[in-house]
Amino acid sequence: MNKGFVVWFTGLSGSGKSTLSAMIEEKLLERGVRVEVLDGDEVRKNLSKGLTFSKEDRDTNIRRIGYVAKLLARNGVCAITAAISPYESVREEVRKAVEERSIFVEIYLDCPLEKLIERDVKGLYKKALAGEIKNFTGVSDPYEVPAKPEVVVYTGDETADQSCARIVKTLEMLELVPSVPGDDYGADEEEEVAKRLKDLGYLG
Amino acid sequence: MKNNKVFIFGMDCMEPSLVFEKWRDELPNLNKLAAGGAFGRMKSTVPPITVPAWTAMMTSKDPGQLGFYGFRNRKSYDYEELYFANSASVKEKALWQILSRNRMSSVALGVPQTFPPKPINGTLVASFLTPNKEVPYTWPPGAAAELDAIAEGDYVIDVKNFRSDEKERLLEQIHTMTRRRFKVVRSWVKNKDWDFFIFVEMGVDRIHHAFWRYHDVNHRLYEKGHRFEHAIRDYYRYVDEEIGSVLPLLPKNTTVMVVSDHGARTMKGAVCVNEFLRREGLLALKEEPAEQKKLTPSDIDWSKTTCWGEGGYYSRIFLNVSGREPQGTIEPQDYERVRDEIKAKLERLGDENGDPIGTKVFKPEEIYREVRNIAPDMIVYFGDLGWRSAGSVGTGAIHIFENDTGPDDANHAQYGMFILNGPGVESGEREGVEIYDVAPTVLSTLGLQVPEDMIGKVID
Repeated sequence: MNKGFVVWFTGLSGSGKSTLSAMIEEKLLERGVRVEVLDGDEVRKNLSKGLTFSKEDRDTNIRRIGYVAKLLARNGVCAITAAISPYESVREEVRKAVEERSIFVEIYLDCPLEKLIERDVKGLYKKALAGEIKNFTGVSDPYEVPAKPEVVVYTGDETADQSCARIVKTLEMLELVPSVPGDDYGADEEEEVAKRLKDLGYLG
Repeated sequence: MKNNKVFIFGMDCMEPSLVFEKWRDELPNLNKLAAGGAFGRMKSTVPPITVPAWTAMMTSKDPGQLGFYGFRNRKSYDYEELYFANSASVKEKALWQILSRNRMSSVALGVPQTFPPKPINGTLVASFLTPNKEVPYTWPPGAAAELDAIAEGDYVIDVKNFRSDEKERLLEQIHTMTRRRFKVVRSWVKNKDWDFFIFVEMGVDRIHHAFWRYHDVNHRLYEKGHRFEHAIRDYYRYVDEEIGSVLPLLPKNTTVMVVSDHGARTMKGAVCVNEFLRREGLLALKEEPAEQKKLTPSDIDWSKTTCWGEGGYYSRIFLNVSGREPQGTIEPQDYERVRDEIKAKLERLGDENGDPIGTKVFKPEEIYREVRNIAPDMIVYFGDLGWRSAGSVGTGAIHIFENDTGPDDANHAQYGMFILNGPGVESGEREGVEIYDVAPTVLSTLGLQVPEDMIGKVID
């Protein structure tokens, strides 16, 4: 399996993008898949250093991440990206560019804002609600929910493991990732994933 | 930049007393490695059998944690036939999976219990539980064609039917298999990218089982001057030469290990465990067998049966418990008492003359950290492995001197061997090394953290 592909996480801050991308990375590495993770927080320290959270800069950040992901994918690597990526049109732009040569798997992390504010894992929601941080997605900046993501995970309700299993099962059913004999990881998800992929036109 | 790689010569059943003592001066490559590094006996699993021993070695987990106790295991408490534990039964992470997670690559060639092959970062070739070469038995799938191309057109996974009378054929096949496998090793050592390379040669085990009677002066059937008298010794010398051909190809600073999953020892005969249990009134058959036959569940009168046994290099005893087995006769509250009574009887069993043989009986919960799936109720080493176990009935005796599944002269010994030679390893013999120590040692050598749930320790 030398096909590269992109796993694009999108969702509000604290919804679990970094957590899930690390879990998926480990699972895929174990199966011999070549993987790289482009994490939003990390990328904003190097590739996108100096960019702000204005719409223009967010778009630039996403285009840069998308550009690198496309280069990796067309060279047989699985590029996992974990950035809020709140704007639909730029996400679609990236999808189109990647889909010239590779498969684009969009993962929407659906978590109610109230839960995120309650958890406030990085303490940012408190500051954002107090007005100390401007342009904060979900509070003072928009988030456009994806229309047809390949996978939806409900990180407010299910365990990280359940979310991870659904994602891995999707990648297996799309034949992007080999399955493991004797490993029934994600067996529960199979029916639901198959249905979704059929509806999206991936499976006949 | 880390530059340590690890290479393991896995020699199934290689016997420490032969390598380090009896043939020390005849195996120069092995003994040079030993003299320049750590070496000694290495305690295998209970039971000391290829499955689960190699998996225990690669995962650093005991058989109870792994949930399989030999090749064949009970799927449920029913009386059905046993199932074969293959790689799908292995839920614990093996070295090559841990390395893959850490972006390191491995070659795992012929390690037992790797069929069907799991995808890894690197190359994996399954071992003798592969039914035939028409099914995928490598990862990636394309590696199978490479194997045949390098191995004289036909890579040999295992010799056919090693419990056979056709000794000339066997000897020739064992040599061919080994020669071809070492060709693959030499080629892949150079042409594949690897941080960790392990291959297992099954020939040592096969030659012990088939030729031990000619080699061992203590064997009942030993004849001095027999043409196969030196078959095992010559094969050990040959393997030593092949090992010598690989060593110069290894990158500088590679840490080299030579390990065996268990040893080999002389065997006096077989105890027909089910005939013994019948004699003790613990097992009843529906009718007296007309001739020697394999015992099957339909032969047994369960209403009059307390326990039954399985044969092999060691024996497993299963209790017939009411509410657990379909037609159980032992009340659950009597389980411990009845088990202890059977244990005492087994321990008292003598040889054909009634002389004590020193049988050992183990209870799974006493020797394993946990007991997953269905373990035998007792594990028995007849004569401390000096006698094997035969499951057949209708043998006419409790002690027999030809194995009931084909000629097989050697039993397994509890201790295999290890050699560890590499940068930073102090030379000298080590005591107390166990099979569970190999994986932690490999990880530590590669600069990786040893997972907390590995039960072994780094060999130092």
